[in-house]
Amino acid sequence: MLVHSRTGKWAAWAVFFVLFVPLFAVPLLVILAASFTTNWSGAFPSGPTTEHYAAATGGDSLQALTTSLITAVSASLLALTVGSWAALAATSLRRRGRRFLDALFMLPVAVPSVVVGLAVLVAFSKPPMLLNGTRWIVILAHTILVTAFAYSSVSAAIVRLDPMYEQAAASLGARPSYVLWRIKLPLLLPALTAAAGLCFALSMGELSATMMLYPPDWTPLPVQIFAATDRGSLFTGAAVAVVLMGTTLLVLLGVARIRTRASYR
Amino acid sequence: MTGGATGGIRFDQVSVAYGGNTVLDRLDLTVEPGEVMALLGPSGSGKTTALRAVAGFVQPASGRVYLGDRDVTGLPPHKRGIGMVVQQYALFPHMRVHDNVAFGLKARKAAKAEIPERVAEALELVGMAAYAERYPRELSGGQQQRVAIARALAIRPGVLLLDEPLSALDARLRSGMLAELARLHRELPDVSILYVTHDQVEALTLADRIAVMDKARLQDCGTPQELYRRPRTEFTASFVGNANLLPVTVADGADTVDFAGRALDVPTGEAAGGATATLCVRPHLVGLGDGPNALSGTIAEVQWRGSTHRLYVDVDGHRVKADLRELRETPALGDTVTLHFAAEDAVLLPAGTAPGTGGGAHA
Amino acid sequence: MPSAPTADVRPGPSGSRSVLERRTGSIDGPRKPVEGPDRGAGDRRIPRFVWALPPVAVLALVFLYPLALVVQQSVSPDEGGTSLAPYGDVFASESFRSALTTTVWLAVGSTAGCLVLGFVLAMVIAFVPFPGGRAVARFIDVFLSFPSFLITLALLFIYGNAGMANGLWTDATGASSGPFDFLTTPWGVLLAEVTYFTPFVMRPLLAAFSQLDTAQLEVASSLGAGPARIVRQVILPDALPALAAGGSLVLVMCLNEFGIVLFTGAKGVTTLPMLVYSKAILESDYPAACVVAVVNIAISVGLYSLYRMVSRRVGA
Repeated sequence: MLVHSRTGKWAAWAVFFVLFVPLFAVPLLVILAASFTTNWSGAFPSGPTTEHYAAATGGDSLQALTTSLITAVSASLLALTVGSWAALAATSLRRRGRRFLDALFMLPVAVPSVVVGLAVLVAFSKPPMLLNGTRWIVILAHTILVTAFAYSSVSAAIVRLDPMYEQAAASLGARPSYVLWRIKLPLLLPALTAAAGLCFALSMGELSATMMLYPPDWTPLPVQIFAATDRGSLFTGAAVAVVLMGTTLLVLLGVARIRTRASYR
Repeated sequence: MTGGATGGIRFDQVSVAYGGNTVLDRLDLTVEPGEVMALLGPSGSGKTTALRAVAGFVQPASGRVYLGDRDVTGLPPHKRGIGMVVQQYALFPHMRVHDNVAFGLKARKAAKAEIPERVAEALELVGMAAYAERYPRELSGGQQQRVAIARALAIRPGVLLLDEPLSALDARLRSGMLAELARLHRELPDVSILYVTHDQVEALTLADRIAVMDKARLQDCGTPQELYRRPRTEFTASFVGNANLLPVTVADGADTVDFAGRALDVPTGEAAGGATATLCVRPHLVGLGDGPNALSGTIAEVQWRGSTHRLYVDVDGHRVKADLRELRETPALGDTVTLHFAAEDAVLLPAGTAPGTGGGAHA
Repeated sequence: MPSAPTADVRPGPSGSRSVLERRTGSIDGPRKPVEGPDRGAGDRRIPRFVWALPPVAVLALVFLYPLALVVQQSVSPDEGGTSLAPYGDVFASESFRSALTTTVWLAVGSTAGCLVLGFVLAMVIAFVPFPGGRAVARFIDVFLSFPSFLITLALLFIYGNAGMANGLWTDATGASSGPFDFLTTPWGVLLAEVTYFTPFVMRPLLAAFSQLDTAQLEVASSLGAGPARIVRQVILPDALPALAAGGSLVLVMCLNEFGIVLFTGAKGVTTLPMLVYSKAILESDYPAACVVAVVNIAISVGLYSLYRMVSRRVGA
């Protein structure tokens, strides 16, 4: 299209791969390779082993995996509920109300995660809302952080949703609640699942706020990875990181499958 | 399938405005039970707004909308009990055809046992019974159109609103669907149909009466024959069919007008002598050669249109169109020719008929 | 077809208004009550905004209220009372000033790097298509769903003291240590941030490029414009809004990045989020942490509002 000569094309591709491969592909491959290695201080890793995975899938790390999964699933579901509710409510508001809700629900993106963690810590460390030291404070912080993403993806989908479906349904005698349940939500299902996947992935990788809040008995995977690398067990850290990436990918794939089944056109 | 207890639509001085911009101006119109009324007009004429006011998707700034003798002006759409088919069909993509058709029945809590029967009946009516298990995306445009109609009819509405229902179809399918709609209406004689279109052929073919809209106002209303043969305004004359509109002055004598210095014999009705008016003659009623009301001029353009020739003739600075049966010898540009038309084929319209001033010039 | 009943019809504004009114009065009036003037309200007794209240209330309780507490804490020194003294103390401290400058220049530098790199890469994907280009685009999506600190972890293996690159060097030269020792410096953070955030620039760019009519490019080149001129005069103006939106988003995210800095484990690189963490968790100095937090919020919310404005203008 832009470059027509054969050499020009090859040059463009060469530039692309020289930049792309080392910057984006190599890091992930290195982590994967390192997770199977005993030692790596040369061109190639040495000593293939699976012992890091024994460590990464048992004991503390297994505990961390379930912790992360429970946190991510609960935070995603909560965020999806609040975010979609707000997005749906926003559509029936006037322009100014809609802008207000937009600004309000996108605010958590603008506030640094560490500060969200600090704020939650400050607010929920004393009665009557004493959550500090429990798992709930972690789940709460994750929910706050991912709600913005749920809100924005659902409201983007609502904007794209053609009002003619709602109107056709209303003209056929469907009450607003019936329209919501039978027409709007089913048509928004692809967007809802996509938002759920996004929230899940973000929560799985959340470190900043978690570092401020996690109680000793509720350490999610990112904290576990940090703990491992901090005490010098880089290879174990890599194995746990692979577990984190693999779990995230698996869930995203599952969500994508649901999504293709739920999209109709 | 029969319509509801009360049919018909009545607009009573209905005005709609968006942000100070009047898109429908004091519409008065009655659609009788069982009547097909076409709302014909260019885009932006207010015709779709009128339809959406009946459906309840726009709120009139003033005036009332009645379905039968029920004032529905303040009623939300889902309580109005009308059937509606829009340009893009709006079939629910996540439901099979039979679920689409059953939607209105379920939403209105029809008796469970009755639903399959009525769905089958509606699909049968539009010839789509064989497609009940399909999803909308598996249907062609014409088939989706039929399902949309079946869905609207399943709730047995007294009123059916059709908003440019054929404009998404290609030309060949369109004429087929037009015949299909005419058949449907014969089978459902009690249903009032409000049919919004910008296509005069659709309106002339299907409608019992046509309401011509322009610039947010109703310009003219009558049977297709009336509007075509006896238009009341310049706008109707040029929008419904093709027309030569010639500026004339009514002479003092009986049934004579002055056109660029020539006296033409046409019925002047009640028009006062000395008044300016517009003479409307359909191009296909203009003949070539000498005759009554002869006009000679020079050929400005010749278009061959298969079965006809369209001549553009300059008569003293006015361009006159004539559609003639295919000519053996095509006249050359610049040739002088004579055209004529019969007095009874001409209609005198008030000059520069401003929107909304209504007809009256023709007797 | 039923014949049209025309007798009743008086089209036009000068029509049968009085007739209709009389009919309305005599037939409709006694039989059923006339609809009230609250048209449009229909059956909605609950105002629409009420539906928006529950999520707003939840957000206010778990997010706005805590934020307000942070602001309150930042003006409540340990000695009690309300004063701006904590601000004075923090602004005067060397650690805060260096953290502020480090944060800003790291964020600006990373954003610039992301913009250049993202533009080049997205251009190749969009305009010099190659087999597997879609797989690359898919890979970028996946990349975005991983946490940022993984990049630093990977860089530790590649450029760390005992990593690949230094190992290669010592093997080749026999030296006792390799030359790559930048990971614990701001440059290491910069590299990681550029790597991690470039896809955030590429995504909106690819979306913008996919909407660019390729016929424009073809017409331009048929008129004799070379690739450089096409990029400058056709592609760049078209991509500018997306670049601005992507760039300002990345700037905000870089300002707030924590994981990458934490994982480098460098004492020399302290950014504002890092300072919040160390003040609060390591030193338990909450008022100071809150002051830094307020400054950090002010900067990033300000920039984020800018981003929203830019992206709204793109959407418009």
